[in-house]
Amino acid sequence: MHKLANSCAIVGMGRTICKKGDPDKKSPLQLIAEAAAIAMKEAGIKRSQVGALFTARTPRAYMTLQFNQSLLNELKLAPMFSSEITAHGAGALGAIELAVSLLDSGLIDYALCATGEASPLWIEMVEGSANWEADLQFEAPYGPTTPSIYALFAQRYMHEYGIPPEQMAKVAVENRLWALDHPHAAMRKKGPITVDDVLSSKMIASPLRLLDCAPWFPGGIASAAVITRADVARSTCEKPTYIAGFGQSSLHEWIGERMGLTGIEPAMHAPNLLRTGASVAAKQAYQMAGVSPKDVDIAETSAPFTFANLLMLEEFGFCGVGEGGSFVASGGVDYNGGLPFNTTGGYLSFGQSGQGLYLLKEVVDQIHGRAEGRPVPNVKLGLVHGHGGPLACHSVMLVSGEPVQ
Amino acid sequence: MSNEMGTGKAMDWSRGVVLRAGEKSLGLYQPSPETTGYWQGVDRHELLLKECRDCAALHHPRRIVCSECQSTNLAWKRASGEGVVYTFSEVHRTAGAFGVSVPYVVGIVRLAEGVHLFSRIIPTATRKVAIDVPVSVDFRVLEEGYLLPVFVVREN
Ligand SMILES: [Zn+2]
Repeated sequence: MHKLANSCAIVGMGRTICKKGDPDKKSPLQLIAEAAAIAMKEAGIKRSQVGALFTARTPRAYMTLQFNQSLLNELKLAPMFSSEITAHGAGALGAIELAVSLLDSGLIDYALCATGEASPLWIEMVEGSANWEADLQFEAPYGPTTPSIYALFAQRYMHEYGIPPEQMAKVAVENRLWALDHPHAAMRKKGPITVDDVLSSKMIASPLRLLDCAPWFPGGIASAAVITRADVARSTCEKPTYIAGFGQSSLHEWIGERMGLTGIEPAMHAPNLLRTGASVAAKQAYQMAGVSPKDVDIAETSAPFTFANLLMLEEFGFCGVGEGGSFVASGGVDYNGGLPFNTTGGYLSFGQSGQGLYLLKEVVDQIHGRAEGRPVPNVKLGLVHGHGGPLACHSVMLVSGEPVQ
Repeated sequence: MSNEMGTGKAMDWSRGVVLRAGEKSLGLYQPSPETTGYWQGVDRHELLLKECRDCAALHHPRRIVCSECQSTNLAWKRASGEGVVYTFSEVHRTAGAFGVSVPYVVGIVRLAEGVHLFSRIIPTATRKVAIDVPVSVDFRVLEEGYLLPVFVVREN
């Protein structure tokens, strides 16, 4: 167990949502500032106590330089550290991970980490455009779309491990069942789906069909967390959530060039697309916490396509390399009886809202028995994953209701 | 249109197509000093890679620093233009100018030299794109009006 295990705890979280069609349309700054205020109130801290303000990637609908400074101004903070932590969608959890290191050093007593997106409210989301993650000179002129970039991973994954489309589809079916129970899930009212529904939905970018792809969350979500040292948390907070372990690993988003990377994990022996930083980050997290995958009671991943869920289950160590398909097919993540996995409905059925800490909030809420959707009994240890770029940057965090032993 | 690096004039490999700012960032979309040689090669219908003059490692045409030995002594080296498909996807839904061509195939080609390139992969009347299928480079003007190296499936 690493010395940072259990060293810090989450003592306040806030989350705000604005859906398409809501009468008061909110900007990302509004949503994030409100989430931050809720988190600070829940933590019972004053502005003057915030020693670090970290925001993740600037919201696409609020493109300003140094978004952290916009939030700092709004909340009238004057912290020792103020910064954007950007590693695509991994930056949100990454901000908390850096905060833990600072808190443990004693330089600061409280960190506020806040992030959000509201693109669908404000931006015409160009269908299929990959210009945010493709190399504009060596990739974009060939016409890649975001699904087609992920499809390149999927095609290779199916080829190398003999994964049939039915096994990929199964994870969409199980995710949907969780979404039906969640009040904010994008697909809550769409009813259950079958493997055949996925396999007969229209082709988007082979081998990925419509129901293999995550929809955008129809609106904006912001979330914020206040973190402090465990000793402070114990004396000030009734139900702290301990940060048991974490890890992070970043590669570049341009996949053509990623194939030029070798000699370093996760491509130690040869360039490849199928081993990602998620395995590196998960291993770091387990080692820090002194636990193993079998100790995990609930897992939330930011995988936006069916196959990526299978791959992440491998990367997190819930099954062996190449076994993601058979693990899911044999009930590994079944809504009834499997590992509670993507309990909001996941990106596939809750909807994707860029980066966020709302998956972390789901795990925190489940640990303390206050989930918004279907409750999972007896959650002691939860795993949450944030990633961005096409499977480029990954953060994995383990959290628990009591310090892990 | 040829490159005029060194003359102080901007190179235009876009053949008169207006480069868009915003969705496509102008700065990155145009060749930068370390890649202009690549696009000059494309003009001559030659596929170029970067070669490290110190350790002979071959790299993606973008490289400025050799990842094997940290040398900055990199020079252009003509590739054989032969390779195999590492992975691919047939795009059915797309945006902008590419709509006229759906379905089309994008993918990653592993060149005989070991370097991987993102590209368009073009099937033949009798042979579809698949992983490990051999391909050869060709040069075509694609939907947005740029002359680009693409890879065509080999029959044999
Ligand atoms: Zn070298």
